[in-house]
Amino acid sequence: MFKAKIITVLLFIGLAGLRGMRANQGPSLPAQQAAPAQEAWQKEFDEVCSKTQDAMTFSPEELAALIQRCDTLLPQIEKLDDTRKKVYMGRLRRCRGLYAYVLDSKRNEKK
Amino acid sequence: MLMCSIRKGMRRNERGLLLLVLACEVLLLGNVASAQIYLPAAPPEQPSDYGKVILDNSSAAGGPGAVVFDHWLHRSKFTCRLCHVDIGFAMQAKATGITADTNRRGFHCGACHDGRKSHDGKIIFASCSDAGKDERCARCHSLGKTGVRKYAYRSYTAKFPKGVYGVDWEAAEESGAIRPVDFLEGVSVKRTPLQSREDFSVTAHYSWVPDIGFSHKKHSVWNGCEVCHPDIFPTTKKGTIHYSMFLNIAGRYCGACHGKVAFPLNNCQRCHPSAPIWATRDRPTSARPE
Amino acid sequence: MNKTTFVVLALILTFCGHTAAQTGIKKKRPLPYEYGRVIINNYSEKTNLAPVVFEHWIHRAKFTCRVCHVDIGFAMKAGATDIRAADNARGYYCGACHNGKTLSEGKTVFESCSRNVAAKDAKTCERCHSLGKTVKTDYDFFSFSQPLPKERFGNGLDWEKSEELGLIKPVSFLAGVSIQRRSLSLQNDFTLNPTVAGMPGIIFSHKKHTVWNGCELCHPEIFVGVKRGTVKYTMVDNFQGKFCGACHNTVAFPLTDCQRCHSMPVQP
Repeated sequence: MFKAKIITVLLFIGLAGLRGMRANQGPSLPAQQAAPAQEAWQKEFDEVCSKTQDAMTFSPEELAALIQRCDTLLPQIEKLDDTRKKVYMGRLRRCRGLYAYVLDSKRNEKK
Repeated sequence: MLMCSIRKGMRRNERGLLLLVLACEVLLLGNVASAQIYLPAAPPEQPSDYGKVILDNSSAAGGPGAVVFDHWLHRSKFTCRLCHVDIGFAMQAKATGITADTNRRGFHCGACHDGRKSHDGKIIFASCSDAGKDERCARCHSLGKTGVRKYAYRSYTAKFPKGVYGVDWEAAEESGAIRPVDFLEGVSVKRTPLQSREDFSVTAHYSWVPDIGFSHKKHSVWNGCEVCHPDIFPTTKKGTIHYSMFLNIAGRYCGACHGKVAFPLNNCQRCHPSAPIWATRDRPTSARPE
Repeated sequence: MNKTTFVVLALILTFCGHTAAQTGIKKKRPLPYEYGRVIINNYSEKTNLAPVVFEHWIHRAKFTCRVCHVDIGFAMKAGATDIRAADNARGYYCGACHNGKTLSEGKTVFESCSRNVAAKDAKTCERCHSLGKTVKTDYDFFSFSQPLPKERFGNGLDWEKSEELGLIKPVSFLAGVSIQRRSLSLQNDFTLNPTVAGMPGIIFSHKKHTVWNGCELCHPEIFVGVKRGTVKYTMVDNFQGKFCGACHNTVAFPLTDCQRCHSMPVQP
């Protein structure tokens, strides 16, 4: 019984701490507005395009693979409704464009 | 003759002739427009009228009336750069968008005329202040009114050295008669001054026109860089833009200042030092070798 | 072509000529509170609303450039994003924050293009569709800018210093929109040498730019060249809105502030 209480208190503190950290990240959505379950293509998009910060550290092969994943996402985004298609096409363009740019510059360096 | 032919209707060869005439007309006028046949007109008779800007944005009936801005008073106290770069005045009447509201908020005229800043030990009166009565408004909104201005040209410039036309402002600064201020606290931002660019000569477009001697140094003393670049003189390769006299007279390029506030364009030798003496419309009272 | 048209055309051609061009005169400089203003009118007037007036100064104080231009996906030219009311109502573009639910600095951000607004409540729309109208806003430029360090041109504010001093805290992550990323490994600063003799060299700070922009905002759309020195960034191009001028003409400190970039001593 006592153990259960300790665990509850610790969980509570942990969750409260996490909540505090998120507050520093700017506008927050109220609890009932939390992001709905992501679709598969969205998860893939987030995964691929979350690496743009590290683009300079990847090898040409890794960059080529990321570009390939962007290209695979393209037809899936094209099937979306008008609004999301417009938004995500733009974001994908910038994301893929960056990887292609860095790949180009790496290939150029080698010359 | 032209309108007659049109009204009567034309046969084929008459139309061809009309086309030819119109083409010649277009070519001739185009040539005149870009050629240096056009000579600058004389500036106003009274140097006190030179550099006068009438600001007539909201001259609706019942309003305070148009503003008369005299450059001679302000240029004796401040550099061109301070007003046209730091404060941000445009260089054409009504292009700045000055309103009583912007003045009250401390922009434009209100950058100095705020009732708090002082110059030469005197407080500068507030512009467009709510507290002002009609007499105060008339200090600036003085078009058509007499006896409302504080400073008169003649008495104010009595001790300044004179040139061919009105005050010789360069000589006035050299002699210490005027000390134009270049920094306004709370408005200007201190910067390491950019190195002055070199003086150079510009070969005129037409071979019979004497070369122009341009002094970057003299211009940047009062203007810095930003007054002219890039708006008035876009940073293109030398030789790509033809700064024709026609355009200068129309108020562009050199004519943005020279012809409105700085020495007028009809004094040819100031820029074309080897121009013949007869080229100057006003006889010079003193030789001015550059 | 009939005779009258021909004559009129010929006369116009004769007299038009030089007056058409716009160079050689000083342009009107936007006031500090006008700088960064974007007028958006893809569809507003067609639907009997005033064009939208977007002020950068209030948004850049709260968010980095990246959040809006990369994460949310706004283009960098007025009208190029093609924002529709439906997009906003669905929670994209402006609606990513302006949805009546998101909180910013403790206050709810008002909803944009709400489907629940009746035609008679047009006043609500005027909060953004305000060109030519006097609209009361929550934020006033003067009280906002008063405590911030001043600079010349543009908004008259030193935005970088404002952040350094903690007076503004632009956020770079928007929950539900931004992708969680690791922090950027900083790129090096480097010098650029002008081709015009006598102009001081430029120190370009990648660090300062990537803090607010990330990489994708500039590369490759604005800066295509992969090998340094292959693309010449002339001032003429910059003033036309290309390269540096994509931002430093309309939103970031304007190019007329020469010494901000040309800050090295002149090479002999």
